[in-house]
Amino acid sequence: MTDTHDPQLLKGVLSLLLLHLLAEHESYGYEVVQRLQAAGFADVLEGSVYPALTRLQREGRLATRLVPSTSGPARKYYRLTPAGREALASGTDSWARHISAVDTVLSRPLPASAEGS
Amino acid sequence: MPDVTIFDRLRIERLVWSLDQQLYDLPRAQRLANRREVRANLLEAAHDVGTTEALRRVGGSRQLAEQYLVAEFGDGPRPSWIGAIYAAALLPLLLNFFLSEAANAFESGVTAADPQATGVYVWSGVSGLQSAITYTFSDGAASHHGGAWTPLTYALWLLLIVGAGRLWRLRLRRRPALAAS
Repeated sequence: MTDTHDPQLLKGVLSLLLLHLLAEHESYGYEVVQRLQAAGFADVLEGSVYPALTRLQREGRLATRLVPSTSGPARKYYRLTPAGREALASGTDSWARHISAVDTVLSRPLPASAEGS
Repeated sequence: MPDVTIFDRLRIERLVWSLDQQLYDLPRAQRLANRREVRANLLEAAHDVGTTEALRRVGGSRQLAEQYLVAEFGDGPRPSWIGAIYAAALLPLLLNFFLSEAANAFESGVTAADPQATGVYVWSGVSGLQSAITYTFSDGAASHHGGAWTPLTYALWLLLIVGAGRLWRLRLRRRPALAAS
Protein backbone atom coordinates (compact mmCIF):
# COMPACT_ATOMS: atom_id res chain seq x y z
CA MET A 1 0.00 0.00 0.00
CA THR A 2 1.35 3.44 -0.90
CA ASP A 3 1.88 6.12 1.70
CA THR A 4 -0.26 8.69 -0.07
CA HIS A 5 -3.42 8.54 -2.14
CA ASP A 6 -4.95 10.86 -4.67
CA PRO A 7 -7.35 12.96 -2.55
CA GLN A 8 -9.93 13.02 -5.36
CA LEU A 9 -9.89 9.24 -5.68
CA LEU A 10 -10.08 8.89 -1.93
CA LYS A 11 -13.01 11.28 -1.74
CA GLY A 12 -14.90 9.09 -4.18
CA VAL A 13 -14.44 5.89 -2.22
CA LEU A 14 -14.38 7.21 1.34
CA SER A 15 -18.07 6.49 1.91
CA LEU A 16 -17.66 2.95 0.63
CA LEU A 17 -14.64 2.38 2.89
CA LEU A 18 -16.50 3.74 5.88
CA LEU A 19 -19.54 1.56 5.20
CA HIS A 20 -17.35 -1.51 4.91
CA LEU A 21 -15.37 -0.79 8.08
CA LEU A 22 -18.57 -0.19 10.02
CA ALA A 23 -20.13 -3.35 8.58
CA GLU A 24 -17.23 -5.27 10.14
CA HIS A 25 -18.05 -3.82 13.54
CA GLU A 26 -19.41 -0.60 14.97
CA SER A 27 -16.88 2.12 15.79
CA TYR A 28 -16.67 5.74 16.90
CA GLY A 29 -15.15 8.49 14.77
CA TYR A 30 -11.58 8.46 15.96
CA GLU A 31 -11.46 4.67 15.93
CA VAL A 32 -12.68 4.66 12.33
CA VAL A 33 -9.81 7.00 11.43
CA GLN A 34 -7.33 4.71 13.16
CA ARG A 35 -8.71 1.68 11.32
CA LEU A 36 -8.44 3.54 8.01
CA GLN A 37 -4.86 4.46 8.80
CA ALA A 38 -4.06 0.90 9.82
CA ALA A 39 -5.47 -0.24 6.48
CA GLY A 40 -2.90 1.94 4.69
CA PHE A 41 -4.78 5.22 4.31
CA ALA A 42 -2.31 7.10 6.46
CA ASP A 43 -3.08 10.45 4.85
CA VAL A 44 -6.79 10.37 5.62
CA LEU A 45 -7.61 13.39 7.77
CA GLU A 46 -10.11 13.30 10.59
CA GLY A 47 -11.54 16.49 9.13
CA SER A 48 -12.91 14.57 6.16
CA VAL A 49 -13.99 11.41 8.02
CA TYR A 50 -16.22 12.98 10.70
CA PRO A 51 -18.38 14.98 8.26
CA ALA A 52 -18.60 11.91 5.97
CA LEU A 53 -19.95 9.88 8.89
CA THR A 54 -22.46 12.64 9.61
CA ARG A 55 -23.56 12.65 5.98
CA LEU A 56 -24.03 8.86 5.95
CA GLN A 57 -26.05 9.13 9.15
CA ARG A 58 -28.22 11.87 7.63
CA GLU A 59 -28.79 9.68 4.58
CA GLY A 60 -30.04 6.91 6.86
CA ARG A 61 -27.16 4.56 6.12
CA LEU A 62 -25.72 4.72 9.63
CA ALA A 63 -27.32 4.68 13.05
CA THR A 64 -25.61 5.93 16.20
CA ARG A 65 -25.59 5.40 19.92
CA LEU A 66 -23.69 7.15 22.69
CA VAL A 67 -21.47 4.97 24.87
CA PRO A 68 -19.91 6.38 28.05
CA SER A 69 -16.13 6.39 28.04
CA THR A 70 -13.83 6.09 31.04
CA SER A 71 -11.20 8.29 29.40
CA GLY A 72 -13.34 11.29 28.41
CA PRO A 73 -16.69 12.34 26.96
CA ALA A 74 -19.19 9.76 25.71
CA ARG A 75 -18.32 8.25 22.36
CA LYS A 76 -20.70 8.25 19.41
CA TYR A 77 -20.67 4.76 17.91
CA TYR A 78 -21.79 4.27 14.32
CA ARG A 79 -23.28 1.09 12.89
CA LEU A 80 -24.84 0.17 9.56
CA THR A 81 -28.58 0.28 8.98
CA PRO A 82 -30.31 -1.99 6.44
CA ALA A 83 -30.15 0.92 3.98
CA GLY A 84 -26.43 1.13 4.70
CA ARG A 85 -25.98 -2.57 3.92
CA GLU A 86 -27.79 -2.10 0.61
CA ALA A 87 -25.61 0.92 -0.19
CA LEU A 88 -22.50 -1.11 0.68
CA ALA A 89 -23.56 -3.99 -1.58
CA SER A 90 -24.39 -1.76 -4.54
CA GLY A 91 -21.28 0.37 -3.94
CA THR A 92 -19.07 -2.72 -3.86
CA ASP A 93 -20.57 -3.97 -7.15
CA SER A 94 -20.13 -0.56 -8.70
CA TRP A 95 -16.51 -0.37 -7.51
CA ALA A 96 -15.77 -3.84 -8.93
CA ARG A 97 -17.20 -2.84 -12.31
CA HIS A 98 -15.22 0.40 -12.18
CA ILE A 99 -11.94 -1.44 -11.45
CA SER A 100 -12.65 -3.94 -14.18
CA ALA A 101 -13.28 -1.19 -16.74
CA VAL A 102 -10.19 0.75 -15.70
CA ASP A 103 -8.05 -2.42 -15.77
CA THR A 104 -9.31 -3.23 -19.24
CA VAL A 105 -8.06 0.11 -20.50
CA LEU A 106 -4.80 0.13 -18.55
CA SER A 107 -3.86 -3.40 -19.63
CA ARG A 108 -3.91 -2.50 -23.33
CA PRO A 109 -0.39 -2.38 -24.79
CA LEU A 110 0.92 1.07 -25.63
CA PRO A 111 2.34 1.83 -29.08
CA ALA A 112 6.14 1.71 -29.26
CA SER A 113 6.41 5.46 -30.09
CA ALA A 114 4.44 6.37 -26.96
CA GLU A 115 6.80 4.34 -24.80
CA GLY A 116 9.83 6.15 -26.21
CA SER A 117 8.45 9.66 -25.79
CA MET B 1 0.89 8.61 25.68
CA PRO B 2 0.98 12.45 25.81
CA ASP B 3 -0.75 14.14 28.73
CA VAL B 4 -3.56 16.53 27.92
CA THR B 5 -3.06 19.65 30.00
CA ILE B 6 -5.48 22.45 30.76
CA PHE B 7 -3.80 24.45 28.01
CA ASP B 8 -4.39 21.59 25.56
CA ARG B 9 -8.05 21.47 26.59
CA LEU B 10 -8.31 25.19 25.91
CA ARG B 11 -6.80 24.75 22.45
CA ILE B 12 -9.31 22.01 21.70
CA GLU B 13 -12.20 24.09 23.06
CA ARG B 14 -11.07 27.00 20.91
CA LEU B 15 -11.33 24.87 17.80
CA VAL B 16 -14.68 23.41 18.87
CA TRP B 17 -16.06 26.88 19.64
CA SER B 18 -14.71 28.28 16.39
CA LEU B 19 -16.25 25.38 14.47
CA ASP B 20 -19.58 25.92 16.21
CA GLN B 21 -19.63 29.60 15.21
CA GLN B 22 -19.44 28.57 11.56
CA LEU B 23 -22.22 26.01 11.76
CA TYR B 24 -25.12 28.31 12.66
CA ASP B 25 -26.91 27.29 9.46
CA LEU B 26 -27.32 23.77 10.86
CA PRO B 27 -30.16 22.81 13.22
CA ARG B 28 -29.23 23.33 16.87
CA ALA B 29 -29.38 19.62 17.75
CA GLN B 30 -27.04 18.85 14.86
CA ARG B 31 -24.59 21.51 16.00
CA LEU B 32 -24.59 20.16 19.53
CA ALA B 33 -23.99 16.62 18.27
CA ASN B 34 -21.14 17.78 16.02
CA ARG B 35 -19.57 19.74 18.85
CA ARG B 36 -19.67 16.79 21.25
CA GLU B 37 -18.32 14.37 18.69
CA VAL B 38 -15.45 16.59 17.55
CA ARG B 39 -14.50 17.34 21.16
CA ALA B 40 -14.55 13.67 22.19
CA ASN B 41 -12.55 12.58 19.15
CA LEU B 42 -10.03 15.39 19.52
CA LEU B 43 -9.45 14.59 23.18
CA GLU B 44 -8.79 10.97 22.35
CA ALA B 45 -6.51 11.90 19.45
CA ALA B 46 -4.66 14.35 21.71
CA HIS B 47 -4.03 11.53 24.19
CA ASP B 48 -2.67 9.39 21.34
CA VAL B 49 -0.60 11.73 19.21
CA GLY B 50 -0.49 15.03 21.11
CA THR B 51 -2.75 18.05 20.80
CA THR B 52 -0.80 19.82 18.07
CA GLU B 53 -0.90 16.79 15.78
CA ALA B 54 -4.55 16.08 16.62
CA LEU B 55 -5.52 19.63 15.70
CA ARG B 56 -3.44 19.49 12.53
CA ARG B 57 -5.18 16.31 11.38
CA VAL B 58 -8.59 17.86 11.81
CA GLY B 59 -7.50 20.47 9.31
CA GLY B 60 -8.71 23.70 10.95
CA SER B 61 -12.16 24.85 11.95
CA ARG B 62 -12.96 26.58 8.65
CA GLN B 63 -12.21 23.51 6.57
CA LEU B 64 -14.02 21.22 9.01
CA ALA B 65 -17.07 23.50 9.08
CA GLU B 66 -17.15 23.56 5.30
CA GLN B 67 -17.10 19.76 5.23
CA TYR B 68 -19.95 19.56 7.74
CA LEU B 69 -21.99 22.05 5.73
CA VAL B 70 -21.33 20.11 2.52
CA ALA B 71 -22.33 16.92 4.35
CA GLU B 72 -25.61 18.53 5.35
CA PHE B 73 -26.49 20.59 2.29
CA GLY B 74 -24.43 19.03 -0.49
CA ASP B 75 -21.88 20.61 -2.83
CA GLY B 76 -22.43 23.91 -4.53
CA PRO B 77 -23.43 27.39 -3.43
CA ARG B 78 -25.87 27.54 -0.57
CA PRO B 79 -27.77 30.29 1.22
CA SER B 80 -26.79 31.54 4.67
CA TRP B 81 -29.82 31.68 6.94
CA ILE B 82 -27.78 33.14 9.75
CA GLY B 83 -26.64 35.96 7.44
CA ALA B 84 -30.25 36.66 6.50
CA ILE B 85 -31.34 36.67 10.15
CA TYR B 86 -28.54 39.05 11.15
CA ALA B 87 -29.45 41.38 8.29
CA ALA B 88 -33.15 41.25 9.15
CA ALA B 89 -32.49 42.09 12.79
CA LEU B 90 -29.58 44.53 12.60
CA LEU B 91 -30.42 46.65 9.56
CA PRO B 92 -33.60 48.18 11.10
CA LEU B 93 -31.62 49.00 14.25
CA LEU B 94 -28.85 50.70 12.29
CA LEU B 95 -31.20 52.50 9.92
CA ASN B 96 -33.48 53.72 12.72
CA PHE B 97 -30.42 54.95 14.62
CA PHE B 98 -29.25 57.04 11.67
CA LEU B 99 -32.74 58.34 10.85
CA SER B 100 -33.24 59.25 14.50
CA GLU B 101 -29.91 61.08 14.55
CA ALA B 102 -30.93 63.00 11.43
CA ALA B 103 -34.26 63.95 13.02
CA ASN B 104 -32.46 65.08 16.20
CA ALA B 105 -30.06 67.14 14.09
CA PHE B 106 -33.00 68.99 12.51
CA GLU B 107 -34.51 69.61 15.94
CA SER B 108 -31.15 70.87 17.26
CA GLY B 109 -30.85 73.17 14.24
CA VAL B 110 -34.21 74.78 15.01
CA THR B 111 -33.43 75.32 18.69
CA ALA B 112 -29.93 76.61 17.82
CA ALA B 113 -31.48 79.27 15.60
CA ASP B 114 -34.20 80.13 18.11
CA PRO B 115 -33.88 78.68 21.64
CA GLN B 116 -37.46 79.76 22.41
CA ALA B 117 -38.92 78.47 19.15
CA THR B 118 -42.66 78.01 19.10
CA GLY B 119 -44.71 76.67 16.20
CA VAL B 120 -44.94 73.83 13.75
CA TYR B 121 -42.02 72.89 11.51
CA VAL B 122 -42.02 70.24 8.82
CA TRP B 123 -38.90 68.46 7.61
CA SER B 124 -39.23 66.26 4.55
CA GLY B 125 -37.00 63.59 6.12
CA VAL B 126 -34.14 61.67 4.51
CA SER B 127 -35.09 61.74 0.87
CA GLY B 128 -36.79 58.54 -0.29
CA LEU B 129 -36.19 56.64 2.93
CA GLN B 130 -38.77 58.17 5.27
CA SER B 131 -41.93 60.26 5.28
CA ALA B 132 -42.01 63.90 6.38
CA ILE B 133 -41.52 64.67 10.08
CA THR B 134 -43.65 67.31 11.76
CA TYR B 135 -42.10 69.07 14.77
CA THR B 136 -44.21 70.99 17.24
CA PHE B 137 -42.15 73.47 19.27
CA SER B 138 -43.32 75.21 22.38
CA ASP B 139 -40.78 77.58 24.04
CA GLY B 140 -37.93 75.52 22.60
CA ALA B 141 -39.36 72.16 23.74
CA ALA B 142 -40.12 69.90 20.77
CA SER B 143 -42.21 66.88 20.02
CA HIS B 144 -42.43 65.25 16.62
CA HIS B 145 -44.32 62.67 14.66
CA GLY B 146 -43.90 61.10 11.24
CA GLY B 147 -40.67 59.80 9.72
CA ALA B 148 -41.99 56.34 8.91
CA TRP B 149 -40.18 54.08 6.45
CA THR B 150 -41.26 54.44 2.87
CA PRO B 151 -42.03 51.40 0.66
CA LEU B 152 -38.59 51.96 -0.92
CA THR B 153 -36.94 51.52 2.50
CA TYR B 154 -38.79 48.26 3.05
CA ALA B 155 -37.77 47.11 -0.42
CA LEU B 156 -34.12 47.98 0.30
CA TRP B 157 -34.31 46.12 3.60
CA LEU B 158 -35.63 42.99 1.87
CA LEU B 159 -32.99 43.34 -0.84
CA LEU B 160 -30.21 43.53 1.75
CA ILE B 161 -31.64 40.49 3.58
CA VAL B 162 -31.59 38.53 0.33
CA GLY B 163 -28.05 39.77 -0.34
CA ALA B 164 -26.67 39.02 3.12
CA GLY B 165 -28.28 35.58 3.15
CA ARG B 166 -27.53 34.89 -0.53
CA LEU B 167 -31.11 33.66 -0.70
CA TRP B 168 -31.22 33.53 -4.50
CA ARG B 169 -29.22 30.34 -4.10
CA LEU B 170 -32.36 28.64 -2.82
CA ARG B 171 -33.70 28.87 -6.35
CA LEU B 172 -30.40 27.73 -7.87
CA ARG B 173 -30.29 24.72 -5.55
CA ARG B 174 -33.83 23.67 -6.44
CA ARG B 175 -33.14 23.50 -10.18
CA PRO B 176 -31.07 20.27 -10.27
CA ALA B 177 -33.72 18.53 -8.18
CA LEU B 178 -36.42 19.60 -10.61
CA ALA B 179 -34.29 18.52 -13.55
CA ALA B 180 -33.68 15.12 -11.96
CA SER B 181 -37.35 14.46 -11.26
